[in-house]
Amino acid sequence: MSRPSRSGALLALVALAGGSAVAGVARDRFDHWEHRELFPTCVGCHAGAAEPRASFWPAAEDCTACHDGIVEERVEWTPPTAPRASNLRFTHGGHAEEVARASMPDSTLQCRACHSEPGGDAMQVRVAVVRNCLDCHRITTDHLEAPDSACAACHVPLVQAARLTRTEVSRFPAPPSHRAPGFVERGHGKQSRVGEAGVAASCATCHARDFCTECHVNAPEVPAIQALATDPRSLTHRSELRAPPSHADSAFVRRHGGQARKEPLKCATCHAQESCLSCHAASPTAAHAIPAAGPGRGIGARVDRSRPTSHGLDFADTHEEAASSRPQNCSACHTRTQCLDCHRPNAADAPPGYHPAGFLTTHPAAAYARDVSCSDCHNQSQFCADCHVSAGLGSSDGLRGAGYHDAKGAFLLNHGQAARQSLESCVSCHSERDCLTCHSAQGGRRFNPHGPGFDPEALRRKNPSMCTACHGAAIPGG
Amino acid sequence: MKRRVTRALALGALLLALGWDRAGAQGYRLLLDSRAQRAAYRGVAADSIPIGDVVAGPTGGPRTPDGFAVRCPPGSAHCFFFRPGPRQEGRPMVTTADLTLWGVGVRGLSARINGRVGFDLGGDEVWPGTEPPVQLLEAYVEYAHRLFTLHGGRQLLVNRLGIVGFDGGRATGRVGRTGLELEAYAGLGLARATALPVTSPALDPLDDFQPRSRQVLAGAALGYRGRLADLRLDYQREVDRDTRNFVSERAALSVDFFPVERWSVAAAVDYDLANTWFGNADARVRYVAPWITATGGLRQYRPHFDLWTIWGAFSPVPYHAVNAGVQVRPMRGLEVRGRWERYVFSSTETQTPLVDVDDDGWRAGVGISVSPAPAWRFDAGYREEYGPGASSNGFDGTVTWLPTSTLSLTGYGATLDRPLEFRFDEASVDVVGIDAEWRPGSRLRLAVGGARYWETRDRPDAAAFDWNQTRLHARVTLTLRSDTDALRLPPALRTRPRTGSR
Repeated sequence: MSRPSRSGALLALVALAGGSAVAGVARDRFDHWEHRELFPTCVGCHAGAAEPRASFWPAAEDCTACHDGIVEERVEWTPPTAPRASNLRFTHGGHAEEVARASMPDSTLQCRACHSEPGGDAMQVRVAVVRNCLDCHRITTDHLEAPDSACAACHVPLVQAARLTRTEVSRFPAPPSHRAPGFVERGHGKQSRVGEAGVAASCATCHARDFCTECHVNAPEVPAIQALATDPRSLTHRSELRAPPSHADSAFVRRHGGQARKEPLKCATCHAQESCLSCHAASPTAAHAIPAAGPGRGIGARVDRSRPTSHGLDFADTHEEAASSRPQNCSACHTRTQCLDCHRPNAADAPPGYHPAGFLTTHPAAAYARDVSCSDCHNQSQFCADCHVSAGLGSSDGLRGAGYHDAKGAFLLNHGQAARQSLESCVSCHSERDCLTCHSAQGGRRFNPHGPGFDPEALRRKNPSMCTACHGAAIPGG
Repeated sequence: MKRRVTRALALGALLLALGWDRAGAQGYRLLLDSRAQRAAYRGVAADSIPIGDVVAGPTGGPRTPDGFAVRCPPGSAHCFFFRPGPRQEGRPMVTTADLTLWGVGVRGLSARINGRVGFDLGGDEVWPGTEPPVQLLEAYVEYAHRLFTLHGGRQLLVNRLGIVGFDGGRATGRVGRTGLELEAYAGLGLARATALPVTSPALDPLDDFQPRSRQVLAGAALGYRGRLADLRLDYQREVDRDTRNFVSERAALSVDFFPVERWSVAAAVDYDLANTWFGNADARVRYVAPWITATGGLRQYRPHFDLWTIWGAFSPVPYHAVNAGVQVRPMRGLEVRGRWERYVFSSTETQTPLVDVDDDGWRAGVGISVSPAPAWRFDAGYREEYGPGASSNGFDGTVTWLPTSTLSLTGYGATLDRPLEFRFDEASVDVVGIDAEWRPGSRLRLAVGGARYWETRDRPDAAAFDWNQTRLHARVTLTLRSDTDALRLPPALRTRPRTGSR
C-alpha cells in the first residue's frame, strides 16, 4: 500500500470509530429537556438519589410504556446495574442528606444544584457541573488549580477508583501547573511532599507509585512516593525524562563527578548505576553511591557514551597534557587495556590502527623529526633497532653500515648536524661502539661529541660511569 | 623454538585455568584476545668491494660494476653498499589475557593481570616485539579506599614522564575534598615502553652497552584538581643498583586549565635534572564549540636517553614547533579538518660544509569525514610532511559500512610517496585493503582483513627493487565475566578516523 492510501485508510478508520462513538453516546443519553413536561421531579425516576435503598434508575418498563413502537418509537434500554465508574468521593444518598440538612428541602433544587448550569432550568440536566461543586465547597479557583487540600473533598485516590479503566484514567486532564517551567525538574517534588512521609492528595488523585517509578530511580528512598499505593493504570499517563538545563553546560561532563560526589542522591533521582557505567565501565566504584536499577526503581536516564567535547579527532595525538595532569580522569571511562592497545603495542596488531595504512613505508618522515614521541609506545631497542637489524640495516660491525647514507657522499664526515637533530634515528641502527670509533677520548679520532647544553659537572655528579665509556678513569674535572 | 612454544602455551593454559577456577566464585572480567598477522618486508644485505673495483655511474657517482651505488669512506680501502636481501616474512601471533578480579571479601580490594604470549610463527623471528614469548605487562593488587589507594606488584605508572612500568608499590592519598592528591612509589623499573627489564637480551639487538641489573625507580607526585584547573607535579628518579649512579632524574609539571566555557589551556613541561635541560614542553589552547574545534600550540621536543647509555653526551638538540588545527562540523555527519605544524631545530653548533642538512620542516594535512547515513562513513585525507631526513606525502581514503549493528566492513586505500634525504630511496607505495569485524554477541569479537601493498623504490641504481606483498590479519576477542559484572561493557568509541589527517 502506498503512503497516501495508507493514510487515507487510517483517516477513514478514525472517522468511523469517532462516528460510532458519537452515535453510541447519542443513543445512550436521555434527553431530560425533551421529557420535561412528563417528569416534574427528578426523584420520580431517580428515586435512589434521595432514598439509598431505592433504585437510582427507572425501570425499563417505565420507558416502554410510551416507547412501545406504536405511541412512540421503540427504545431498547435497560438500567445500569452498577454506579457510573468515577473517582468521585460523592454518593447521591450522602450528598442529598447533607444538602437537605443545609437548607434546601426541595428535591428538584437539590439535584439542580449540581446538575444544571447556574441559572439554568432544572431539566437542563448535565453530568455534575464542576463549577457548582467548587462553589458549594467554597473553592474559588479553577478546578484544576484547586489547592491540594481541596482535591480530597470530591475525589478519592486513583487506587480507590478501581472501576475506572486505563483509558478513562488516561483522559484525566493535566493541571496547568504541570506545564509550568521547572515543574519536572524542581516543582513537583516539593508539591508532592506532605509532612515527613505523606504525599499530597492532589498527586494521589491521578497518580500511583508506578507512575513515579517510571523515572525515579530513588523511588524506594522517597517517602512521598512510598506513600502512594501501586496501580499500573497510572502508567497510562505519559512521562518523559528530560535532562535538566545544567546538563547542557559544555563543562558538565568535566564537573559532574564533583557534583555527584557532593550530592549523589540528587543524581539518583534520575540515574541508576547503569547510567554511570555506560561511561565509567573502567571504574565501577564511581557508581557505588547510587542504586542500581531494580524492582521498585526506575531504570533511570539512558546515557549514551559520547565523546567529551575535549576529545576531538586529534585527541589521540594531543591527550598527553590532559592525561598527565590528571590520569584518574582517563581511568574514569577508559580501561587500562585501551591505553595498552597503543602504549604497549601488540606485535600482531595490523594497521590501520593508531598509524594509518602504509605507515611502515612512510615512517621515516615521522620518525626523523618526531611527529609524536615514538618512545612513548615503542622501545627503541626492542622495536626500532630489532626490526632494522632484521632488515639488514643494523650497524653492529663498525662502518659497514655507512653504506646506508649513499645519497650523501661525505655523510660520515659531516653527520654532526643530522645526528644532533635526530639522534633517536641514529640509535635505531647504530650501536654505541660505532660512534666511539671516532668519538672516544681514549682512541680513534678523539672527536668531541659534546655540544650545546652539555653540562659535564651535572652529568659527572649523576652518573660518572657514563663518562668512563669515553674517558676511562681520566674523567676531565673528576 | 618448539619447546619454548609448548612451554609457554602450557604456562598460559595453567594461568588461565587457575584464574578461571578462582574467578568462578568472585567478580571477574577476563578478556582473551588473539591476533595474528602475516607481513613481509624486503631486507637488505650489507656488502663491500675493494675501492679499486668501483666504476663511475652514469651520473658520475661511484658504483659497483653491477650497478649498485657505493659509499667509500675517506681512507678506507673498501666501498660499502647494500644488495637487496632476502624477503623477510613475519607471522606474529599474540594472545593477550587481561583479567580483573574483585569481590574477594574485602571491599575495595581487586587484582589485575595482563600478560601476553607471542610468537613469530614464520620461524625467522624477524618481527619485533615477540621476544621473549611470554611478557607480563601488569600484575598488581589494588586496595581502594575513599582517602587512599594502594597498588602492589607489576604496574604501569602514567605521568608526564611517560608510561613507566615497575615492580613495586604505590600509594596515593587524597586530602579530603580539597582536590589535593599525593602519590609516592618505589620499585624495580622496567625499560621504557616495554614489559621487559633493561637487562633483557631482547633489548640489545645491536650489542650495545647494557646494565647488569635493574634500576631502582622511585618518585612522588602532588596533584590538584579544582574547578578551573587540574595540576600535577612529578618527580622521578631511577638509580642503578650496582653503581648507585643515576639512570635518570627528572621532574615535570602538567596543567590543564579551563578559564572560561569552551576554552582550555593545556601545558606541560619536563626538566632533566641530570642533563640540566628542559626536555619536552607543550602548550596548547583549545576552543571547542558544537560546530568547531580549534587548537593552537607551541611545543619543544627533545629526546630523552637513560644515563646508562652514552647518547645524552652527544647533545641532542630540541626542535621548537608552532602548530594549529581546526575541525569544522558545519552539519550533522560532516566534518572537515586541517592540521599544520612548523618546526625548527635549535642550533647544533656543528659545521658540516660537505653535507647540507635541513634544520626545519613542516607537516600539514587536511581530511574530511562524511556520514550520510548511520550505516555509512567516508573518510579521506591528504598529508604532506617535509623535514630533515625524510619527507612523505599522500592521499588516503576509507569507506566503512555497517550492514547490521554487529558487522562492519571497511575498505581503504592509500597512495604515498616517501623521499629520503640521506639515501637514494625515494619509495612510493599504493595500498588497498579491506577489514571485516563481526560481533556475534557482547562477549565475542571476530575480525579479519587483508591488504595488498605495491611499493616501488625509485633509485638511480640497481638497488631499485620493487617490494610488493599481501598482508593478512585476523583477531578473536572473547570476554568472559562473572554475574556480578553482568553489565555489558559499552564499546569504546573510535576517536580518530582510520585515515586522513588527524
